[in-house]
Amino acid sequence: MAYNIIVLIKVIPDLEQIKPDQQGNVSTKNLPLRIETLSENSIEAAVQLREKHGGKVTGIIFGTQESVPIMKKAYAMGVDDGVVITGYPGNDPKYTAAVLSSKIKVMPHDIIVLGNQSADSYTGLLPGLLAGTLGYPLIGNAISIVPADRKVRVKKFLENKNVEVEAPLPAVISVAQEINEPRLPPVMQIMAAGRKQIVTEVASISNKSSIKVLSNTAPKSERRKMIFEKAEEGVPVIVKVLKEELR
Amino acid sequence: MKSFVFSDDQSLVPAIATFARALGDVDIYSSGPASPAIKKYGALKIYIVNDTNLTDSIADLLASRMSKGEYQFGFIASTVNGRDVAGLLASKSNAGSIAEISSFELAGSSTRTKRFFFGGKSILEEESSSRIFTVSPGIVEPREVGTESPVEQVSLSPSRISVLSSEEKKSGGVDIEKAQAIVSIGRGLGNKDKLSAIEPFASAINAVIAGSRPVCLDYHWLSEDRQVGLSGRKVRPKVYIALGISGQIQHIAGMRGSKIVIAVNKDKTAPIFEECDYGIVGDMFDVLPRLLDGMKK
Repeated sequence: MAYNIIVLIKVIPDLEQIKPDQQGNVSTKNLPLRIETLSENSIEAAVQLREKHGGKVTGIIFGTQESVPIMKKAYAMGVDDGVVITGYPGNDPKYTAAVLSSKIKVMPHDIIVLGNQSADSYTGLLPGLLAGTLGYPLIGNAISIVPADRKVRVKKFLENKNVEVEAPLPAVISVAQEINEPRLPPVMQIMAAGRKQIVTEVASISNKSSIKVLSNTAPKSERRKMIFEKAEEGVPVIVKVLKEELR
Repeated sequence: MKSFVFSDDQSLVPAIATFARALGDVDIYSSGPASPAIKKYGALKIYIVNDTNLTDSIADLLASRMSKGEYQFGFIASTVNGRDVAGLLASKSNAGSIAEISSFELAGSSTRTKRFFFGGKSILEEESSSRIFTVSPGIVEPREVGTESPVEQVSLSPSRISVLSSEEKKSGGVDIEKAQAIVSIGRGLGNKDKLSAIEPFASAINAVIAGSRPVCLDYHWLSEDRQVGLSGRKVRPKVYIALGISGQIQHIAGMRGSKIVIAVNKDKTAPIFEECDYGIVGDMFDVLPRLLDGMKK
């Protein structure tokens, strides 16, 4: 049986390049953008499902105008169609869920795949908010996805155990990094992806977030930072510290 | 004011229950059997559900109790199932939610919270009317009370999820979150066989061995339950010794609560040296025997 698969793709700045200013404020303005790590795993999982069962993979990015070129990479990895919704404000997963679910509702879908926790904001709340809004079962942190007719079997990767569960479709499935190794698309596919159409639209719902950002600053390190370049100088100091702390 | 605490992992209950108790009354939800430990944290009631993988039914139960006004706030341990329940619950109860809080205070009818942002590069301080929170480990030190909480089994509405099988993960039988001393290794170890060169020093200082994400998840030199980091365990030992760990921000976020951090790394420019109290630029296989000698004296 063929499935309509929707993959939610997050676009994030290159976090390693964030440098706080003198007041410790951080900004991601002008940083290069990339596909979020678990979104790559999500795309790979969605494309593998289509390769095995047939159907169609549609990618949705909720981002900004700058996210549009990023969809090309998703195409190169095998996503069939893509929509970029602009107007992403950044820190309220409830609003993100509202925008995405209103879009998903008007598209054919059986399986919705997304990352369990994004590498930048790390809330891990979007899968639940989305499943709750759509009224679908949620299966979190998947390491394998096996659909059969109108059901899906999923192995969940929990902290202390792996659990296999089954749920009816449509379902929201969040994936763990361990589910697969995202493919590196061949050059021909990258070139073909550049010619494909990308639909963009503005978020249809206005943001009524109740969350007010008070500050966003680099954590202060209050470590002593006594660094020794000669082991013979550092060892006695550290031995003394260890003996005092671990008495 | 009354809050609930939900955690599928009972070992995370004491800290969150202690924290929530400071705001008022607390009920605890987990899956059973209730360990003697979680009965000691002053909950009015401990509710046991039969399977914490039934996230839709658990969210329904908690949403219905919140809508009846039983709970002002919900504090949920940030585990896979916990985050799923939090998101579902926030949607069903139409309450705001903030994730992975490391600090919480009431400000009139709002709350002020802090959480890591930009992958740990920053701390985001937010004010909101949110009522549901996932909580980072170590939000407070657990404190027992003198009484024992009563336990009650609670039944769930039918779930659309059926659990087919469950398999415990192989673990070293250690809980690195409780360790007083941790020797943590990174890629710099080179290969798994070289662990034997680390063990004598770790045992001399009664430390457990932990590691970075690549060491635990990519190379499997150590079991998954020994991974320190934003996506792994968050540890707060008295002494954290990082060997051959470069100090990626995701790793730092998992060990920032350590009292003393010691780093050994060959690369003078490794970011770990910005996040340590004492550091030696050098080869761990040269430095460790010297430290071991020193400890024996």
